[in-house]
Amino acid sequence: MSDIHTPRIEELLPAYALGALEGEELRELEEHLAGGCEECGRQLALWQGDLEELAAAVPPVEPSEITRARVLRLTGAAAAAPAPMPAVAPRRTSSWRMAAAASALLALALWGLLGQVRMEREVQRLESDRERLRRQVEVLSRQVGSMRTEVLQAKQDLQVLAGPGVQAVTLAGLGPSPGAKGRTYVNPSTHDALFYAFDLPALPADKTYQLWFIADGKPVPAGVFAVDPRGTASLRVQQVADVARIQAWAVTVEPRGGLPQPTGAMVLKGA
Amino acid sequence: MDERETEDRDLMSRVAARDGTAFARLFEVHGSTALGLLLRILGRRSEAEEVLQEVFLQVWMQADRYDEVRSTPRGWILMLARSRALDRLRRRDSARRREEAAGEEAGEAIPPVGTERLETLERKRQVTSALGALSPDQRRCIELAFYEGLTHTQIAERLEAPLGTVKSRILLGMNKLRQALSAPS
Repeated sequence: MSDIHTPRIEELLPAYALGALEGEELRELEEHLAGGCEECGRQLALWQGDLEELAAAVPPVEPSEITRARVLRLTGAAAAAPAPMPAVAPRRTSSWRMAAAASALLALALWGLLGQVRMEREVQRLESDRERLRRQVEVLSRQVGSMRTEVLQAKQDLQVLAGPGVQAVTLAGLGPSPGAKGRTYVNPSTHDALFYAFDLPALPADKTYQLWFIADGKPVPAGVFAVDPRGTASLRVQQVADVARIQAWAVTVEPRGGLPQPTGAMVLKGA
Repeated sequence: MDERETEDRDLMSRVAARDGTAFARLFEVHGSTALGLLLRILGRRSEAEEVLQEVFLQVWMQADRYDEVRSTPRGWILMLARSRALDRLRRRDSARRREEAAGEEAGEAIPPVGTERLETLERKRQVTSALGALSPDQRRCIELAFYEGLTHTQIAERLEAPLGTVKSRILLGMNKLRQALSAPS
Protein backbone atom coordinates (compact mmCIF):
# COMPACT_ATOMS: atom_id res chain seq x y z
CA MET A 1 0.00 0.00 0.00
CA SER A 2 1.19 3.50 -0.77
CA ASP A 3 0.70 4.83 2.74
CA ILE A 4 3.45 2.59 4.09
CA HIS A 5 6.92 4.12 3.93
CA THR A 6 9.15 1.74 1.99
CA PRO A 7 12.64 2.01 0.45
CA ARG A 8 11.00 1.78 -2.97
CA ILE A 9 8.77 4.78 -2.27
CA GLU A 10 11.80 6.66 -0.94
CA GLU A 11 13.68 5.97 -4.17
CA LEU A 12 11.00 7.76 -6.14
CA LEU A 13 11.64 11.04 -4.33
CA PRO A 14 14.69 12.34 -6.28
CA ALA A 15 12.99 11.83 -9.62
CA TYR A 16 9.82 13.41 -8.21
CA ALA A 17 11.77 16.47 -7.05
CA LEU A 18 13.30 16.68 -10.54
CA GLY A 19 9.88 16.43 -12.16
CA ALA A 20 10.86 13.28 -14.08
CA LEU A 21 8.39 10.97 -12.38
CA GLU A 22 5.27 10.02 -14.33
CA GLY A 23 2.40 7.56 -14.68
CA GLU A 24 1.66 5.01 -12.01
CA GLU A 25 4.79 5.84 -9.98
CA LEU A 26 3.84 9.51 -9.81
CA ARG A 27 0.28 8.70 -8.76
CA GLU A 28 1.54 6.27 -6.12
CA LEU A 29 4.01 8.75 -4.60
CA GLU A 30 1.57 11.65 -4.61
CA GLU A 31 -0.95 9.48 -2.81
CA HIS A 32 1.69 8.56 -0.27
CA LEU A 33 2.74 12.20 0.28
CA ALA A 34 -0.89 13.24 0.61
CA GLY A 35 -1.10 10.68 3.42
CA GLY A 36 1.28 12.94 5.36
CA CYS A 37 4.45 10.78 5.54
CA GLU A 38 6.80 12.93 7.60
CA GLU A 39 9.97 11.13 6.57
CA CYS A 40 9.18 11.55 2.89
CA GLY A 41 8.30 15.21 3.48
CA ARG A 42 11.67 15.73 5.15
CA GLN A 43 13.60 13.92 2.43
CA LEU A 44 11.74 15.71 -0.32
CA ALA A 45 12.71 19.05 1.22
CA LEU A 46 16.35 17.89 1.19
CA TRP A 47 16.16 16.90 -2.49
CA GLN A 48 14.58 20.22 -3.31
CA GLY A 49 17.37 21.92 -1.41
CA ASP A 50 19.91 20.07 -3.56
CA LEU A 51 18.14 21.20 -6.70
CA GLU A 52 18.10 24.77 -5.44
CA GLU A 53 21.90 24.50 -5.15
CA LEU A 54 22.02 23.12 -8.66
CA ALA A 55 19.87 25.99 -9.94
CA ALA A 56 21.91 28.60 -8.11
CA ALA A 57 25.17 27.22 -9.49
CA VAL A 58 24.51 28.58 -12.98
CA PRO A 59 26.63 31.57 -13.98
CA PRO A 60 24.64 34.68 -13.00
CA VAL A 61 23.65 37.13 -15.73
CA GLU A 62 22.96 40.77 -14.94
CA PRO A 63 19.49 41.78 -16.16
CA SER A 64 19.42 44.55 -18.76
CA GLU A 65 18.52 48.05 -17.64
CA ILE A 66 15.21 47.75 -19.49
CA THR A 67 14.26 44.58 -17.62
CA ARG A 68 15.43 46.08 -14.37
CA ALA A 69 13.34 49.23 -14.91
CA ARG A 70 10.28 47.21 -15.89
CA VAL A 71 10.53 44.92 -12.88
CA LEU A 72 10.99 47.79 -10.45
CA ARG A 73 8.13 49.68 -12.06
CA LEU A 74 5.85 46.85 -10.96
CA THR A 75 5.86 48.30 -7.48
CA GLY A 76 6.48 51.92 -8.28
CA ALA A 77 9.91 51.36 -6.75
CA ALA A 78 11.81 52.30 -9.89
CA ALA A 79 12.44 55.87 -8.77
CA ALA A 80 13.67 54.64 -5.43
CA ALA A 81 15.77 51.73 -6.59
CA PRO A 82 19.51 52.11 -6.42
CA ALA A 83 21.81 51.10 -9.24
CA PRO A 84 22.88 47.43 -9.25
CA MET A 85 25.17 46.79 -6.30
CA PRO A 86 27.18 43.85 -5.10
CA ALA A 87 25.30 41.37 -2.99
CA VAL A 88 27.74 42.11 -0.17
CA ALA A 89 26.37 45.64 0.32
CA PRO A 90 25.99 46.21 4.05
CA ARG A 91 22.46 46.14 5.38
CA ARG A 92 22.85 49.26 7.48
CA THR A 93 22.26 51.29 4.33
CA SER A 94 18.63 50.16 4.15
CA SER A 95 17.24 53.00 6.33
CA TRP A 96 19.24 55.51 4.27
CA ARG A 97 17.82 53.94 1.14
CA MET A 98 14.29 54.15 2.44
CA ALA A 99 14.78 57.85 3.24
CA ALA A 100 16.23 58.38 -0.23
CA ALA A 101 13.33 56.45 -1.70
CA ALA A 102 10.81 58.59 0.19
CA SER A 103 12.54 61.79 -0.94
CA ALA A 104 12.69 60.58 -4.51
CA LEU A 105 9.01 59.65 -4.50
CA LEU A 106 8.09 63.02 -2.95
CA ALA A 107 10.17 64.84 -5.54
CA LEU A 108 8.52 62.77 -8.24
CA ALA A 109 5.06 63.59 -6.89
CA LEU A 110 5.85 67.34 -6.73
CA TRP A 111 7.34 67.27 -10.17
CA GLY A 112 4.20 65.55 -11.39
CA LEU A 113 1.97 68.15 -9.71
CA LEU A 114 3.94 71.08 -11.16
CA GLY A 115 3.85 69.38 -14.50
CA GLN A 116 0.09 69.10 -14.28
CA VAL A 117 -0.33 72.81 -13.41
CA ARG A 118 1.95 73.76 -16.31
CA MET A 119 0.00 71.47 -18.59
CA GLU A 120 -3.35 73.01 -17.56
CA ARG A 121 -2.02 76.53 -18.23
CA GLU A 122 -0.74 75.42 -21.59
CA VAL A 123 -4.13 73.92 -22.44
CA GLN A 124 -5.86 77.22 -21.50
CA ARG A 125 -3.40 79.19 -23.60
CA LEU A 126 -3.92 76.89 -26.58
CA GLU A 127 -7.70 77.10 -26.23
CA SER A 128 -7.53 80.89 -26.15
CA ASP A 129 -5.28 80.87 -29.25
CA ARG A 130 -7.66 78.53 -30.99
CA GLU A 131 -10.64 80.86 -30.33
CA ARG A 132 -8.68 83.90 -31.57
CA LEU A 133 -7.63 82.05 -34.71
CA ARG A 134 -11.19 80.84 -35.27
CA ARG A 135 -12.42 84.48 -35.22
CA GLN A 136 -9.65 85.53 -37.61
CA VAL A 137 -10.60 82.76 -39.97
CA GLU A 138 -14.24 83.91 -39.88
CA VAL A 139 -13.27 87.51 -40.71
CA LEU A 140 -10.95 86.39 -43.50
CA SER A 141 -13.61 84.08 -44.91
CA ARG A 142 -16.07 86.94 -45.06
CA GLN A 143 -13.46 89.15 -46.76
CA VAL A 144 -12.68 86.44 -49.27
CA GLY A 145 -16.42 85.99 -49.98
CA SER A 146 -16.87 89.71 -50.45
CA MET A 147 -13.81 89.99 -52.73
CA ARG A 148 -15.01 87.04 -54.74
CA THR A 149 -18.34 88.80 -55.31
CA GLU A 150 -16.54 91.99 -56.31
CA VAL A 151 -14.30 90.13 -58.72
CA LEU A 152 -17.30 88.42 -60.27
CA GLN A 153 -19.06 91.74 -60.61
CA ALA A 154 -16.01 93.40 -62.12
CA LYS A 155 -15.75 90.53 -64.57
CA GLN A 156 -19.37 90.94 -65.62
CA ASP A 157 -18.91 94.73 -65.92
CA LEU A 158 -15.89 94.16 -68.07
CA GLN A 159 -17.89 91.86 -70.35
CA VAL A 160 -20.39 94.71 -70.87
CA LEU A 161 -17.67 97.29 -71.55
CA ALA A 162 -15.47 95.08 -73.69
CA GLY A 163 -18.18 94.08 -76.18
CA PRO A 164 -18.04 95.40 -79.76
CA GLY A 165 -20.07 98.51 -80.53
CA VAL A 166 -20.62 99.61 -76.95
CA GLN A 167 -22.47 102.90 -76.83
CA ALA A 168 -21.49 105.45 -74.21
CA VAL A 169 -23.76 108.28 -73.13
CA THR A 170 -22.74 111.15 -70.84
CA LEU A 171 -25.31 112.63 -68.44
CA ALA A 172 -25.01 116.16 -67.11
CA GLY A 173 -26.31 117.68 -63.86
CA LEU A 174 -29.57 119.59 -63.86
CA GLY A 175 -31.55 121.79 -61.43
CA PRO A 176 -30.57 121.13 -57.84
CA SER A 177 -27.25 119.38 -58.66
CA PRO A 178 -25.63 121.14 -61.60
CA GLY A 179 -22.17 119.80 -60.80
CA ALA A 180 -23.27 116.13 -60.94
CA LYS A 181 -22.25 113.86 -63.82
CA GLY A 182 -23.26 110.50 -65.11
CA ARG A 183 -22.33 107.97 -67.80
CA THR A 184 -24.00 104.93 -69.31
CA TYR A 185 -22.50 102.13 -71.40
CA VAL A 186 -24.82 99.92 -73.38
CA ASN A 187 -23.75 96.64 -74.95
CA PRO A 188 -25.93 96.28 -78.04
CA SER A 189 -25.46 92.58 -78.42
CA THR A 190 -26.28 91.54 -74.82
CA HIS A 191 -28.66 94.42 -74.03
CA ASP A 192 -26.84 94.98 -70.76
CA ALA A 193 -25.97 98.48 -69.56
CA LEU A 194 -23.77 100.02 -66.86
CA PHE A 195 -24.50 103.35 -65.24
CA TYR A 196 -22.12 105.45 -63.10
CA ALA A 197 -23.01 108.64 -61.20
CA PHE A 198 -20.67 111.19 -59.60
CA ASP A 199 -21.15 114.12 -57.24
CA LEU A 200 -24.82 113.56 -56.52
CA PRO A 201 -25.99 114.73 -53.08
CA ALA A 202 -27.34 112.23 -50.59
CA LEU A 203 -31.15 112.07 -50.37
CA PRO A 204 -33.53 111.88 -47.39
CA ALA A 205 -34.43 108.33 -46.31
CA ASP A 206 -37.87 108.48 -47.97
CA LYS A 207 -36.43 109.42 -51.38
CA THR A 208 -34.39 107.55 -53.99
CA TYR A 209 -32.70 108.22 -57.30
CA GLN A 210 -34.29 106.40 -60.24
CA LEU A 211 -32.65 105.82 -63.64
CA TRP A 212 -34.70 105.87 -66.87
CA PHE A 213 -34.05 105.41 -70.52
CA ILE A 214 -36.35 107.00 -73.07
CA ALA A 215 -37.26 104.61 -75.84
CA ASP A 216 -39.73 105.47 -78.56
CA GLY A 217 -40.51 108.66 -76.65
CA LYS A 218 -41.53 106.91 -73.44
CA PRO A 219 -39.59 106.67 -70.16
CA VAL A 220 -38.73 103.13 -69.12
CA PRO A 221 -37.64 102.50 -65.47
CA ALA A 222 -34.05 101.10 -65.30
CA GLY A 223 -33.54 100.76 -61.52
CA VAL A 224 -33.21 102.75 -58.32
CA PHE A 225 -29.99 103.60 -56.49
CA ALA A 226 -28.49 105.49 -53.57
CA VAL A 227 -25.14 107.30 -53.49
CA ASP A 228 -22.21 106.65 -51.15
CA PRO A 229 -20.73 109.41 -48.94
CA ARG A 230 -18.58 110.57 -51.85
CA GLY A 231 -21.70 111.06 -54.00
CA THR A 232 -20.97 108.20 -56.39
CA ALA A 233 -23.05 105.21 -57.41
CA SER A 234 -23.12 102.45 -59.99
CA LEU A 235 -25.91 100.35 -61.38
CA ARG A 236 -26.14 97.43 -63.69
CA VAL A 237 -29.16 97.33 -65.98
CA GLN A 238 -30.34 94.29 -67.88
CA GLN A 239 -32.65 93.91 -70.83
CA VAL A 240 -32.46 97.47 -72.07
CA ALA A 241 -34.06 98.33 -75.39
CA ASP A 242 -32.17 98.31 -78.69
CA VAL A 243 -29.62 101.08 -78.80
CA ALA A 244 -31.28 102.50 -81.89
CA ARG A 245 -34.56 102.98 -80.03
CA ILE A 246 -33.03 104.76 -77.00
CA GLN A 247 -33.18 108.51 -77.33
CA ALA A 248 -31.94 109.52 -73.90
CA TRP A 249 -31.01 108.55 -70.30
CA ALA A 250 -32.22 110.41 -67.21
CA VAL A 251 -32.19 110.29 -63.40
CA THR A 252 -35.05 111.63 -61.28
CA VAL A 253 -35.71 111.89 -57.56
CA GLU A 254 -38.63 109.63 -56.62
CA PRO A 255 -40.31 108.27 -53.49
CA ARG A 256 -38.47 105.36 -51.88
CA GLY A 257 -38.82 102.18 -53.92
CA GLY A 258 -39.31 104.05 -57.23
CA LEU A 259 -42.31 104.47 -59.51
CA PRO A 260 -43.32 103.15 -62.96
CA GLN A 261 -43.46 106.71 -64.30
CA PRO A 262 -41.22 109.62 -63.38
CA THR A 263 -42.83 112.20 -61.07
CA GLY A 264 -39.97 114.05 -59.35
CA ALA A 265 -37.24 116.49 -60.30
CA MET A 266 -34.78 115.45 -62.98
CA VAL A 267 -31.17 115.69 -61.77
CA LEU A 268 -29.18 114.08 -64.63
CA LYS A 269 -29.86 113.82 -68.35
CA GLY A 270 -27.89 112.79 -71.42
CA ALA A 271 -28.49 111.71 -75.01
CA MET B 1 20.56 29.60 8.43
CA ASP B 2 23.21 31.94 7.04
CA GLU B 3 23.16 35.73 6.92
CA ARG B 4 21.98 35.72 3.32
CA GLU B 5 18.99 33.55 4.10
CA THR B 6 18.10 35.60 7.17
CA GLU B 7 17.99 38.76 5.11
CA ASP B 8 16.03 36.99 2.38
CA ARG B 9 13.37 35.86 4.80
CA ASP B 10 13.08 39.37 6.19
CA LEU B 11 12.79 40.76 2.65
CA MET B 12 10.12 38.22 1.74
CA SER B 13 7.92 39.17 4.67
CA ARG B 14 8.32 42.85 3.80
CA VAL B 15 7.50 42.19 0.14
CA ALA B 16 4.37 40.35 1.26
CA ALA B 17 3.48 43.59 3.09
CA ARG B 18 3.88 45.49 -0.23
CA ASP B 19 7.26 47.03 0.54
CA GLY B 20 8.66 48.17 -2.82
CA THR B 21 12.12 48.85 -1.42
CA ALA B 22 12.39 45.30 -0.11
CA PHE B 23 11.23 44.04 -3.50
CA ALA B 24 13.93 46.09 -5.25
CA ARG B 25 16.52 44.60 -2.91
CA LEU B 26 15.25 41.07 -3.52
CA PHE B 27 15.55 41.64 -7.24
CA GLU B 28 19.03 43.06 -6.80
CA VAL B 29 20.14 40.02 -4.84
CA HIS B 30 18.51 37.23 -6.87
CA GLY B 31 17.72 38.75 -10.28
CA SER B 32 21.02 37.82 -11.85
CA THR B 33 20.97 34.20 -10.59
CA ALA B 34 17.38 33.79 -11.75
CA LEU B 35 18.31 35.24 -15.16
CA GLY B 36 21.31 32.88 -15.37
CA LEU B 37 19.02 29.92 -14.74
CA LEU B 38 16.43 31.17 -17.24
CA LEU B 39 19.12 31.65 -19.87
CA ARG B 40 20.48 28.16 -19.15
CA ILE B 41 17.02 26.70 -19.74
CA LEU B 42 15.74 28.90 -22.56
CA GLY B 43 18.95 29.65 -24.41
CA ARG B 44 17.71 33.04 -25.65
CA ARG B 45 18.58 36.19 -23.79
CA SER B 46 15.54 38.21 -24.83
CA GLU B 47 13.13 35.46 -23.86
CA ALA B 48 14.94 34.86 -20.57
CA GLU B 49 14.67 38.56 -19.70
CA GLU B 50 10.97 38.48 -20.54
CA VAL B 51 10.35 35.47 -18.29
CA LEU B 52 12.41 37.11 -15.55
CA GLN B 53 9.88 39.94 -15.53
CA GLU B 54 7.04 37.44 -15.25
CA VAL B 55 8.80 35.66 -12.40
CA PHE B 56 9.29 38.81 -10.38
CA LEU B 57 5.75 39.94 -11.14
CA GLN B 58 4.66 36.64 -9.60
CA VAL B 59 6.98 37.22 -6.63
CA TRP B 60 5.44 40.64 -6.08
CA MET B 61 1.88 39.41 -6.46
CA GLN B 62 2.20 36.14 -4.53
CA ALA B 63 4.80 36.85 -1.86
CA ASP B 64 2.14 36.15 0.76
CA ARG B 65 1.93 32.58 -0.52
CA TYR B 66 5.59 31.89 0.15
CA ASP B 67 5.94 29.07 2.71
CA GLU B 68 9.19 29.37 4.62
CA VAL B 69 8.91 25.82 5.91
CA ARG B 70 9.04 24.35 2.42
CA SER B 71 11.87 26.34 0.87
CA THR B 72 14.24 29.25 1.18
CA PRO B 73 13.25 32.50 -0.56
CA ARG B 74 16.02 31.89 -3.09
CA GLY B 75 14.77 28.35 -3.69
CA TRP B 76 11.21 29.59 -4.11
CA ILE B 77 12.24 32.26 -6.65
CA LEU B 78 14.51 29.90 -8.59
CA MET B 79 11.87 27.15 -8.71
CA LEU B 80 9.29 29.70 -9.90
CA ALA B 81 11.76 30.70 -12.59
CA ARG B 82 12.46 27.11 -13.57
CA SER B 83 8.78 26.25 -13.68
CA ARG B 84 7.92 29.24 -15.87
CA ALA B 85 10.88 28.63 -18.16
CA LEU B 86 9.93 24.96 -18.60
CA ASP B 87 6.35 26.00 -19.42
CA ARG B 88 7.75 28.32 -22.05
CA LEU B 89 10.04 25.59 -23.34
CA ARG B 90 7.23 23.08 -23.71
CA ARG B 91 5.38 25.50 -25.93
CA ARG B 92 8.34 25.77 -28.22
CA ASP B 93 9.59 23.44 -30.87
CA SER B 94 12.66 21.91 -29.23
CA ALA B 95 14.57 21.33 -32.44
CA ARG B 96 14.20 24.98 -33.45
CA ARG B 97 15.26 26.06 -29.98
CA ARG B 98 18.48 24.12 -30.16
CA GLU B 99 19.41 25.61 -33.50
CA GLU B 100 18.78 29.17 -32.38
CA ALA B 101 20.40 28.75 -29.01
CA ALA B 102 23.52 27.40 -30.64
CA GLY B 103 23.63 30.41 -32.94
CA GLU B 104 22.97 33.94 -31.90
CA GLU B 105 23.27 34.02 -28.16
CA ALA B 106 25.85 31.49 -27.18
CA GLY B 107 28.43 32.61 -24.69
CA GLU B 108 26.46 35.50 -23.25
CA ALA B 109 26.31 34.14 -19.74
CA ILE B 110 29.30 35.92 -18.36
CA PRO B 111 29.46 35.81 -14.58
CA PRO B 112 30.06 39.20 -13.03
CA VAL B 113 33.31 39.30 -11.14
CA GLY B 114 33.43 40.32 -7.53
CA THR B 115 29.72 40.69 -6.99
CA GLU B 116 29.10 37.49 -5.10
CA ARG B 117 29.83 36.47 -1.58
CA LEU B 118 32.86 34.25 -1.21
CA GLU B 119 30.72 31.61 0.45
CA THR B 120 28.35 31.64 -2.54
CA LEU B 121 31.24 31.22 -4.93
CA GLU B 122 32.60 28.41 -2.79
CA ARG B 123 29.20 26.70 -2.78
CA LYS B 124 29.05 26.97 -6.55
CA ARG B 125 32.43 25.39 -6.87
CA GLN B 126 31.18 22.59 -4.69
CA VAL B 127 28.10 22.08 -6.89
CA THR B 128 30.26 22.15 -10.01
CA SER B 129 32.60 19.68 -8.42
CA ALA B 130 29.63 17.49 -7.36
CA LEU B 131 28.33 17.49 -10.92
CA GLY B 132 31.82 16.54 -12.04
CA ALA B 133 31.64 13.51 -9.79
CA LEU B 134 28.71 12.12 -11.79
CA SER B 135 29.21 9.93 -14.80
CA PRO B 136 28.46 11.76 -18.07
CA ASP B 137 25.33 9.61 -18.51
CA GLN B 138 24.05 10.34 -15.02
CA ARG B 139 24.74 14.02 -15.45
CA ARG B 140 23.02 14.12 -18.84
CA CYS B 141 19.87 12.46 -17.48
CA ILE B 142 19.64 14.89 -14.56
CA GLU B 143 20.24 17.88 -16.81
CA LEU B 144 17.54 16.78 -19.25
CA ALA B 145 15.07 16.50 -16.37
CA PHE B 146 16.11 19.69 -14.64
CA TYR B 147 16.80 22.10 -17.49
CA GLU B 148 14.42 20.69 -20.10
CA GLY B 149 11.65 19.32 -17.90
CA LEU B 150 11.71 15.86 -19.48
CA THR B 151 10.18 12.83 -17.75
CA HIS B 152 11.80 9.39 -17.43
CA THR B 153 10.16 8.19 -20.64
CA GLN B 154 11.07 11.31 -22.60
CA ILE B 155 14.69 11.11 -21.49
CA ALA B 156 14.81 7.44 -22.51
CA GLU B 157 13.48 8.38 -25.95
CA ARG B 158 15.86 11.28 -26.32
CA LEU B 159 18.89 9.20 -25.36
CA GLU B 160 17.59 6.02 -26.97
CA ALA B 161 18.28 4.24 -23.69
CA PRO B 162 16.15 1.67 -21.81
CA LEU B 163 13.68 3.24 -19.35
CA GLY B 164 15.05 1.27 -16.40
CA THR B 165 18.57 2.49 -17.17
CA VAL B 166 17.41 6.11 -17.18
CA LYS B 167 15.63 5.67 -13.85
CA SER B 168 18.68 4.16 -12.20
CA ARG B 169 21.03 6.82 -13.67
CA ILE B 170 18.86 9.54 -12.17
CA LEU B 171 18.61 7.84 -8.79
CA LEU B 172 22.33 7.13 -8.59
CA GLY B 173 23.24 10.54 -9.93
CA MET B 174 21.04 12.36 -7.44
CA ASN B 175 22.47 10.34 -4.57
CA LYS B 176 26.02 11.15 -5.69
CA LEU B 177 25.09 14.78 -5.90
CA ARG B 178 23.72 14.66 -2.37
CA GLN B 179 26.89 13.07 -1.06
CA ALA B 180 29.14 15.58 -2.80
CA LEU B 181 27.07 18.53 -1.58
CA SER B 182 26.97 17.21 1.98
CA ALA B 183 30.71 16.64 2.13
CA PRO B 184 32.64 19.30 4.04
CA SER B 185 34.10 21.84 1.62
